[in-house]
Amino acid sequence: MDNIASHEDWKSYFSEIGPGLLLFARQWARSAADAEDIVQEAFVKFWRRNHKINNRALLYATVRSIALDFIRRDKRRARREATLFAEADPTIEPQFEWEDEAQSALATAVSSLPHDQREVLVLKIWNELTFSEIAGALGISQNTAASRYRYALANLKKSLQPQ
Amino acid sequence: MNDFTELENDLRALRPARPSPVLFERIEEAMAENYNGVTAKEARWSWRHLIEWSRGNASDMNGQLDRATERERASQTPFRFGIALAAATAAVLLLLARINTDQTRSEGKEIAQVSPASETTQVLPGTQNLSEGRPVRGRSGVEGPTSLNQFIPAGATQVVYSERDEGLQFTDSSKQPLRRLRYQTQQTWQWRNPTTGASLRVSYPSEEVVLIPVSGQ
Repeated sequence: MDNIASHEDWKSYFSEIGPGLLLFARQWARSAADAEDIVQEAFVKFWRRNHKINNRALLYATVRSIALDFIRRDKRRARREATLFAEADPTIEPQFEWEDEAQSALATAVSSLPHDQREVLVLKIWNELTFSEIAGALGISQNTAASRYRYALANLKKSLQPQ
Repeated sequence: MNDFTELENDLRALRPARPSPVLFERIEEAMAENYNGVTAKEARWSWRHLIEWSRGNASDMNGQLDRATERERASQTPFRFGIALAAATAAVLLLLARINTDQTRSEGKEIAQVSPASETTQVLPGTQNLSEGRPVRGRSGVEGPTSLNQFIPAGATQVVYSERDEGLQFTDSSKQPLRRLRYQTQQTWQWRNPTTGASLRVSYPSEEVVLIPVSGQ
């Protein structure tokens, strides 16, 4: 029942996927600290349950599940998050390390995407999941994942076009 | 074909913020703590999650996480058993209440149908109706779906939270060795009343031992 991957493998795996995982968790968390709590709980839970290290869809599903539970822990928080989602408040959007104005504009455009499209985009671009894995992680069909991704790119392109 | 290539490259060039070094330390610490067992924090989490799950609030992606092996949850069995016992008691009380209501209704029906003979036969058991060539109806004479107290099965789940291989064994009745696997599961049954929208859920832990014949080459 032991994990085939060693302790060191898990640590190096986390250092590799950590940023993308955190970015994914940021979609539900107001702050980076909350997102880090979610990622920690999810990653350790995933590891403790002896899941295979390469079962990425399940790892991201775990993050999503714990993020939703994290919100439910405090009803006031849940209401606040719901309000924030509705108003698309940029304070809860993913954070990037942008280097110039173009990247800043791109980050802002990503932040303004609808939640379901951004969720797929984050998994595809910054976590390099396949559509099959995305479908597994989000509980949607592959076609839905692919079409949300295309809509996200189309929306980004549209919003980045000069007025 | 794909006119988004440039945009995708731009997106990939945008790097997400790196986790704080503290997070790496925390995860390493948590992994070390959990290596030999469940931490108190996790035990609390499991307890809270179990309560939410029993309320139908847990968001474990349709149970796909819970279907995985969870040896450590075996330590939660006393809590689970307590909740399951309470749920089972509630279910039994509800069922008893329903039976009482049905009996009352059935008696009322008989009183109301004293004069027409054809109606009176409806309260007789189905075999008698069959012998008379009449369509079979319920013992109470009330059609099931129209009853206010009719609960219909709405779902059943079985979550395996522990699986233990207890090794090979030989029994008198079998010439082959048998592998003995012990599964600890949480079974949940749900019923729904389509008329009132009420639902009933019963959860209880169960244990199952499976013997699988092993053939040698």
